[in-house]
Amino acid sequence: MNDDRPDPDALLAQLQREESMEKKGRLYILLGMCPGVGKTYAMLLLARQRQADGLKVLVGIVETHGRKETASLLEGLEVIPRKKISHGGHTLEEFDLDTAIQRRPDLLLVDELAHTNAPGSRHLKRYQDVLELLDAGIDVVTTLNVQHIESQVDIVRQVTGIAVHETVPDSLLDRAHEIQLVDLSVEKLMVRMGEGKVYMAERAEAAAKGFFREGNLTALRELALRFTAERVDRDLEDIRKARRVSSPWKTNAKLMVAVGPTPYSESLIRWTRRASGRHGCPWLAVWVEGTRPLTAPEQDLLGRSLGLARKLGGEVVHATGDDLAVTLLTVARERNVSQIVVGKSNRRSLWKQTLADRIIEGSGDIDVCVVRPVIGRPSNRSEMPRRSFTAHSAQEYGIAFAIVTVLTAVCWQIEPVVGYTVPALVYLFAILLAAFHIGRGPMILMAGLSALAWNYFFISPKFTFEVRALEDIILLVLFFAVALSMGQLTSRLRTREIAERRRQIETDALLRVTQSAALAPEMGKGLAEALRIINSVIGTDTALVVRKLDHSLPTVPHPAGTWLPDEREFGVAAWAYGNKQIAGRFTDTLPQSAGTWFPLQTATSVMGVIGLKLTNEDATLDFTLRQAVEAFALQLALVLEKEHFIQAVSQAEVMDRSERLRRNLLDSVSHELKTPLAIIRASIEGMEAAAANPYVIEIDTATKRLQRLVDGLLQMTRLESQVVEPQMEWCDVNELVEGAIKTAGDVLKNHLVSVDFAPDIPLIKTDHALLHQALANILHNAGVYTPQHSAIELTVRHAEQKLRLTIRDHGPGLPPGEESHVFGKFYRAAGAPAGGTGLGLSIARGFVQALGGDIAVWNHPLGGAVFEILLKAEFMTPSEDHACVSCQIKETAAT
Amino acid sequence: MTALIIDDEIQIRRLLRLALESRDYVVREAETGRLGLQEAAFHRPDVVLLDLGLPDMDGLDVLKNLREWSAVPVLILSVRDQEDVKVSALENGADDYVTKPFSTAELIARLAVIQRRHPGGESPEIIVGPLKMHLDRHEVFLAGEPLKMTPVEYAFLLALARHAGKIVTQRHLLREVWGPQGDGQTHYLRVYANHLRKKIGDKLVISNEPGIGYRLLVS
Repeated sequence: MNDDRPDPDALLAQLQREESMEKKGRLYILLGMCPGVGKTYAMLLLARQRQADGLKVLVGIVETHGRKETASLLEGLEVIPRKKISHGGHTLEEFDLDTAIQRRPDLLLVDELAHTNAPGSRHLKRYQDVLELLDAGIDVVTTLNVQHIESQVDIVRQVTGIAVHETVPDSLLDRAHEIQLVDLSVEKLMVRMGEGKVYMAERAEAAAKGFFREGNLTALRELALRFTAERVDRDLEDIRKARRVSSPWKTNAKLMVAVGPTPYSESLIRWTRRASGRHGCPWLAVWVEGTRPLTAPEQDLLGRSLGLARKLGGEVVHATGDDLAVTLLTVARERNVSQIVVGKSNRRSLWKQTLADRIIEGSGDIDVCVVRPVIGRPSNRSEMPRRSFTAHSAQEYGIAFAIVTVLTAVCWQIEPVVGYTVPALVYLFAILLAAFHIGRGPMILMAGLSALAWNYFFISPKFTFEVRALEDIILLVLFFAVALSMGQLTSRLRTREIAERRRQIETDALLRVTQSAALAPEMGKGLAEALRIINSVIGTDTALVVRKLDHSLPTVPHPAGTWLPDEREFGVAAWAYGNKQIAGRFTDTLPQSAGTWFPLQTATSVMGVIGLKLTNEDATLDFTLRQAVEAFALQLALVLEKEHFIQAVSQAEVMDRSERLRRNLLDSVSHELKTPLAIIRASIEGMEAAAANPYVIEIDTATKRLQRLVDGLLQMTRLESQVVEPQMEWCDVNELVEGAIKTAGDVLKNHLVSVDFAPDIPLIKTDHALLHQALANILHNAGVYTPQHSAIELTVRHAEQKLRLTIRDHGPGLPPGEESHVFGKFYRAAGAPAGGTGLGLSIARGFVQALGGDIAVWNHPLGGAVFEILLKAEFMTPSEDHACVSCQIKETAAT
Repeated sequence: MTALIIDDEIQIRRLLRLALESRDYVVREAETGRLGLQEAAFHRPDVVLLDLGLPDMDGLDVLKNLREWSAVPVLILSVRDQEDVKVSALENGADDYVTKPFSTAELIARLAVIQRRHPGGESPEIIVGPLKMHLDRHEVFLAGEPLKMTPVEYAFLLALARHAGKIVTQRHLLREVWGPQGDGQTHYLRVYANHLRKKIGDKLVISNEPGIGYRLLVS
């Protein structure tokens, strides 16, 4: 590869980051070494500054812990009231996520990112709230202590001896637009602590005192500084790569970590994540499935490790093979890995090489990094129990014992005829057969018992365990060895067969799901059959929710499902659909729900969600099952997507034809309705002394009303038949607002309309006519619904490619609980004056949405309603403006 | 003066006839595009009022046909409030348009404007209300006071003043002021319309018809 060229991956990554920044909100993190360094204070300072810049800043949640300096900074910032959640008789206060999203601030303050939400909240963790806010396009500023970063947990525990349970995944920090370090020297912090300026929760005070030792603080400060430095380094690296500066790293660096069902894996994963972060390269976590089936606690450990790897942004690879080292090396070569990370084993044996040794031996040009793992966080789970002596295996021991007894009896009868060696072969044959059906323990018992029985009953001297002849001793030892190894081999064959069979069943099921869903003549029946197969393989009841053509989720499940989820479950389904993540039971999001919801995700889109409710209440959805469900979900998604494409194509054909028809129809209806109106109005104008005739005035008023109604209906029809195509061009906001006030017309004549423009709003790229009409409709609405001579305040603000038009009236406000209904078609508030159509706001919202924005409405705390149009739009930069000036001067000079 | 009304709605024709005859027009009517073209050819009207929704042929085609052999001022009557239709009518030679339902007074005023013979290139000055532009000296006076202008502002104002009262399409303005380079750069217009508005105050109005063009009016 030519080194001069910019790394396409780096460019792509940068592009993607820029692109995702465009649509999604930006995350600003204020990072500190520990509580008390002034993160909240810094956050509030930042907020005030941004508010002064003209941004709409809202405080989502801020903990001042009673500190006066901090509390005084809160003044002048609007705070969202906390949501009250009642749980087990207590009322807990928590951050109100829904209101925050509804109010759409430019910048939202959310303190303490690592906080765990009160039970009953939508998400388990506050950082998940933040993720949802970012996805909703809201910029968030938050605070975080370094010990809460997932990849730093081990180091923090090593250094301070304190296990941290509230953690934030590193992938979230990667999304951060900006990480700013709030630093304070340890001496100053100790002074602040002495003054009682550092908050400590009462319960944690004792622990906290141990935590706030000078040595700990210094170490934490170093961690925070180093973390920030690494981040800066990486940003610089991105810039360098994108700017063709040759890179000091191997451009194709890629790390791989071997993950197994051990408590050490988590620590190895964290180590790898840190290393990859330093090198700015991707990493894989590889799990090799061997022949031995995993026990439940092992599966649990593995599931947690792989979950952690995913959370930390690694790619999880699942490989199968008998030989761990060989399989790992194969995967590493296939994926072009540059460095393999393996754990260092404490136990060394003389005759068996460790995994690390074997990997190093075969690694060739791949670097191998042997890391001493730190034992995972002390968990309250009990240590891995040995496989318990269950009723099932007791039965097998019984069978083994019975077989040996029966065989001994039979051989006793034939021994005089055939000699004493034949019974040994009979025993061996029985062990061989039995090993296919019984476990390892019973098989060893059987081998031992047979050896003893043979010795006791058949080898002379009989009825003693004594063996005299040398050849008999050799025979006996060999018999035992052969019995054991044969049994072992068979038993290994058997476990492999079981695993193979399970995989076979899953593959079969997968195939059947695909076939039944894809090849069924009727989609509904095919899906029903597919779900039936999934139910029988996983042991669940299933609900399927397929998205509608307009990409929204319907409120009824697909009839093929066998489980009817309630409204709450639909909330979970909607979350899973919207966030493209698994949600519900056995996950971190809404774990209290009854079902687990998987998004039906293809490479390009999400086709819906599938919800599983395990029929056995005590069962869990473990790692292998989850993988199977994900595979099913993918197949279903592909089938649904195909169906969707077929529908879309045929629909496009129909649309194409109906499009013309619809336009023509709209035009002629418009013509037919407006012509008589035109005639009436022209006739009224032509009448002599029209202004003096009360009848004529009435006709005129009615005609105008009729005209408004016809206009509204036609606009609504245009919107609904999706004939509205915004014509984007540069518009002058001043002109637009003044025009809208003029269009809103007579109803505003007796109102005190004030317009507050931010100075020098640049031109904005939008559809003038649509925005004009939307604004006019809202103003007209305000005029109709508020008493005469009351004030209507129109505020125009712009910041960061967003235009915010706020219309506040001083009328009665909206009926509580009906805020969201006002945009409904033909909605008319109770007691509304006659003459309205109930279409104005609905059209306004339709137009604004067609422009890629939205309208929100809420009641002002001091009375009156607030309507807010928020548009993300392109503003003209001043430089463009200048460019056009200079080019014309040249142009005119030339002519 | 003769006005030709091409519209299939008999009531509209009757109303227009009433309004126009009261202002001393001689009115001729045609209810289809074909008949309208014949009328225009035989009677050489001084102004044509053309409806875009005709039963036999598209009003736009009537206009194109008419423009092949006649320079008669044409006022478009239309209910289609989509900008693209209006723009294409204006670019195909229509002089102005009114959207139904319209007010008669406005219609008559528009008719008067498009019938006015423009002085063209020969006349050394253009006068619009209080505005006076000396073309040879590149000087602009507003109510007797000289106005300082950049070359672009001057060209922009000139393009509007030449067709005072009439709509000037965005494309026409851009071509006139910036040449072929200006195509599609509608934001130039917003910027300069704003500059000019600040300079000429409220004695003249530069009204914007979004998506279509600008009009210079005396307030």
